[in-house]
Amino acid sequence: MASNSAASKGRLVALEGAAGPELVPSGKRLLDQLLRGRDEGGVSSFDASGIFFELRKGDKEIPQPSPRTLVLLYAADLMFRLRWEIRPALEEGMLVVAAPYVDTGIAFGKAAGLPKRWLVELFSFAPRAEQVYRLKEKREISGWKFKRSQGYLEFCCKTLIASSPAWHPEELRERLLGYLDALERRGGCQTATEKILGR
Amino acid sequence: MSKSPDLKSHRENEDRLRELIRRQESKRGLLIAFEGADGSGKTTQRKLFKKWLQTSNHEVKSFRWASSPLVKPLIKARKGAHSLSPQEYCLLYAADFRHQLEIKILPALWAGKMVIADGYLFTGLARDGARGTNLNWALNAYSPLFWPDVAVYFAVSAETSRQRVASEKVPKYYDAGMDVTNIDDPYESYRQFMTRLNQEYQALASIFQMTTIDGELSIYEQHRTIRQLFREAGKRPWADWNIDAMVEWLGRQLQTPEAQLGIE
Repeated sequence: MASNSAASKGRLVALEGAAGPELVPSGKRLLDQLLRGRDEGGVSSFDASGIFFELRKGDKEIPQPSPRTLVLLYAADLMFRLRWEIRPALEEGMLVVAAPYVDTGIAFGKAAGLPKRWLVELFSFAPRAEQVYRLKEKREISGWKFKRSQGYLEFCCKTLIASSPAWHPEELRERLLGYLDALERRGGCQTATEKILGR
Repeated sequence: MSKSPDLKSHRENEDRLRELIRRQESKRGLLIAFEGADGSGKTTQRKLFKKWLQTSNHEVKSFRWASSPLVKPLIKARKGAHSLSPQEYCLLYAADFRHQLEIKILPALWAGKMVIADGYLFTGLARDGARGTNLNWALNAYSPLFWPDVAVYFAVSAETSRQRVASEKVPKYYDAGMDVTNIDDPYESYRQFMTRLNQEYQALASIFQMTTIDGELSIYEQHRTIRQLFREAGKRPWADWNIDAMVEWLGRQLQTPEAQLGIE
């Protein structure tokens, strides 16, 4: 599927990262900085469709989904966000910060061992963001404590370790950040520093 | 250039999985997929065929399209709210398919059971195609593909399908394709959508070399043809893409003691 163009008057900015709880507050700060009192805008965040919320509330006895299924569900949520939040806002000329967006989905998939070609094709429905930022995140975290409700990576980590002790959340997180590092080195994103987010 | 330790161990692990799969080939079960529009008779044939296999001392598992206990409730809620776009429809059904493949179909085949799928991969692809979704993108969403050993397409006309379904119930919004036909009458929408769906099925049956059975023949005649197909099918080595899907599934079972997977 060819990448759909945003084809609108608005601006789409992505904010990617591992830390679910940081994405929305940082997205709001980024939005404020980019707007600087002009125009209108909003932040589109993870699980607007409620897919992951419903999975959390569902039957705990059901066998857990694999990384591939988790990525398909993330893509379905993103498709929902594009249809109901992002595209309508862009068409009205607004600025949208999508936090997280495509690269977080791809980064998780890569971290979990899925082929990049499959991931890139899967997310080809999403318009390219005009600018891609990533959260500035601590690399070393010992005894990482997290809840399924905090964000996409947190949801996936809890889900995967429930299915098998062979998954290590810290390792998945490190690999996800490693993917974003490589993306940044290639110029595909830049770190949202304190200066960019506004002090 | 030397390989990095990670890459080397990954390759070694994958080679080991492929060897395990090769050793399991002779003990694996067969996957038989029944495809066709609603009202084409595939469920009747699935039940008959299952009974026949069981009387021939096969252990049989049935699989119904879109019945993952994890994803089905998500789809049901969204279909009820008429809130799915064609692409969301494809992604959620692909997630449902993947979950079922991994928790039901592959474990059963690995354990040597016969699996009869009442609607399989082609059901998703045909419906996506009929909704105008790009086939290559949809195929990617369903990848890695896992090919059935026998794939049967029950061909019926749109009118026969409409009559059979309408005799029991009013076609539901998405089953009638009302999300894409823009027709308010569910029966007329269903008939038009079935015409599109049949075109997709026929194309898929041709591309993927499914065996077409005339779904308007008598139930017994169809059943007899299926038995014949099964006898002739035999067990062939899995295709490369099936092995790719199996490697991905088996790789996640690594923490399971190999004896539990039936590996000697």
